[in-house]
Amino acid sequence: MNEPEIIIRLDEDGQIYSPGATLSGKYRIEAVEGASLQAVEVSVLWYSEGKGDEDLAVHEFWRKDADSGELGNPRRPDRFSTTLPLSPLSYDGQIVKIRWCVRVRVIFNRGRDLVAQRLFRLGNVPPVKPPILDA
Amino acid sequence: MARNFRYFEKKRGHRRTGSRLLGSVGEAIFFAVMLVVGCAAIYFGIARLIIPEWRVNHEFVEHACKVVEKRVIDVPSEKGMLFQPVVKIDYEIQGVTYSPYTYDIHHTMLSTRDEAQAAIDRFTERQTYPCWYDPAKPSDAVLVRGHQWWIWPALLIPASFVVIGIGGLVFTILHWGKSLEHRAAVVRSVPTPELFDLPAAVNPKYPYTPDCSEITSSPGTRLAYRLPLAQSPGWTLLGLLVACLAWNGAVSVFVVMVIRSYLAGISDWPMMLFIVPFLVVGIALVIVFARLLRHTAGIGPTLVEISDHPLLPGHGYHLFLSQSGNLKLKSISVSLICEEEAVFRHGTNARSESREVFRQSLYSSTSSIIRPDEPLEAECDLPIPAEAMHSFRANHNQVQWKLIVHGKILGWQGFQRSFPVVVRPLPVDHVSGRTSP
Repeated sequence: MNEPEIIIRLDEDGQIYSPGATLSGKYRIEAVEGASLQAVEVSVLWYSEGKGDEDLAVHEFWRKDADSGELGNPRRPDRFSTTLPLSPLSYDGQIVKIRWCVRVRVIFNRGRDLVAQRLFRLGNVPPVKPPILDA
Repeated sequence: MARNFRYFEKKRGHRRTGSRLLGSVGEAIFFAVMLVVGCAAIYFGIARLIIPEWRVNHEFVEHACKVVEKRVIDVPSEKGMLFQPVVKIDYEIQGVTYSPYTYDIHHTMLSTRDEAQAAIDRFTERQTYPCWYDPAKPSDAVLVRGHQWWIWPALLIPASFVVIGIGGLVFTILHWGKSLEHRAAVVRSVPTPELFDLPAAVNPKYPYTPDCSEITSSPGTRLAYRLPLAQSPGWTLLGLLVACLAWNGAVSVFVVMVIRSYLAGISDWPMMLFIVPFLVVGIALVIVFARLLRHTAGIGPTLVEISDHPLLPGHGYHLFLSQSGNLKLKSISVSLICEEEAVFRHGTNARSESREVFRQSLYSSTSSIIRPDEPLEAECDLPIPAEAMHSFRANHNQVQWKLIVHGKILGWQGFQRSFPVVVRPLPVDHVSGRTSP
């Protein structure tokens, strides 16, 4: 039997989104029996990377529970859409980095999770150039 | 890319990658134990200390008794030997004579024999004194009433356990089985009181960009706003003054002791040698304070005014600089810098690291003479790069922009003053969905 897999696709196959633009896409879960699922969570969020401890904030969050009958067939693609905020923009600094992503978390009845995420850029701030060291 | 989470895995910052269930169970047990311990301690305090004391003062009946015998009992304890004052009294209730050993309701134990002896010395054998007996059990009586003031503040300790336990349990129950994202979504939906001024709440339209109201609260005389200093030199001076006074105050006690001994004809050389290094540090603190005071007073205030705020990438602004004082400058310059700052945990300590990622010189001048009635004044342009990252502030990570005024003084230590500014993302053109320049 194949390993469960989450597939996330963004419309326009976009990598760079303007602040305030609409982000939309769809996800589907493969090789999973619907009866084994407890819930599916979809988040549009940013998190930090780099030297500091992680900061994370959720911009949009949806949860579908099996108990309420919202889940349906997990193999059927499910759509999501949100208006992106004006900040913080994606950033690739030297010790601070800000990443935006769509994250899908599948929670199984056994209590284990399966997580997948699709990164995208909010805004177009170029990466910070590393310092030029004197020879 | 999908992956399964493990029960135990490397933990970095607040990111938890182990089992949520195990984590929640652990949290719940921890807070439940705190709650139980706190409740038990409060019950003990009320049942064994407060209620008996209250009954002695309100329900016990006053009566006359005769002191028969008095003594101090040695009670070994973990803290060493304790001493309990006890007095044997005789009293008669409804034809029945009682002869208990007693003192107060708490069976007070004192840390020295002298204190315990002093407590029983208040009573003389074969003399009559008032006592108070329990009407429900006349064999229980005390010679001393009153209140133990320490009971109430002592109850604050178990009370804090109860508050933390209840708060933690409520928090755990509310977050039970919730994913990291679900928790973050719950936090976002809870209104933040001003006391807990979280970064996202600072500017709801531009989340996680710092608020500008403090920067634009002071109007300028030449341009729109006068920028506030990041840190006033007055605070450094005040801190140094407090340190100077505290250190030298403590050292002066020993100096006075040594001088008195010397005047009395006793030369305590070990003590004299002992205080010399402390005296040297005290004198050094006074010198550093005096130099900083002279430096701060001599340089005078640095004023920076700006034509508009907040700043936008790709836009240009004007700056006005005024430097007062009484000094000869080798050079003075103004730079725009961008700095990243990260706070991280290293063991049990929180550490921070900053890295300058952008610097642009805006103004520089050499060989200026500043007199008290003739400050140096200059204007310059302030261009913000079109591709600049906006100011960003979260709990552990920051991107901050600031103007730095750096001065070099002839024959003196230089100075540097920092003025934070906020660069905001470009506003969005809602028709095209693009940022408008």
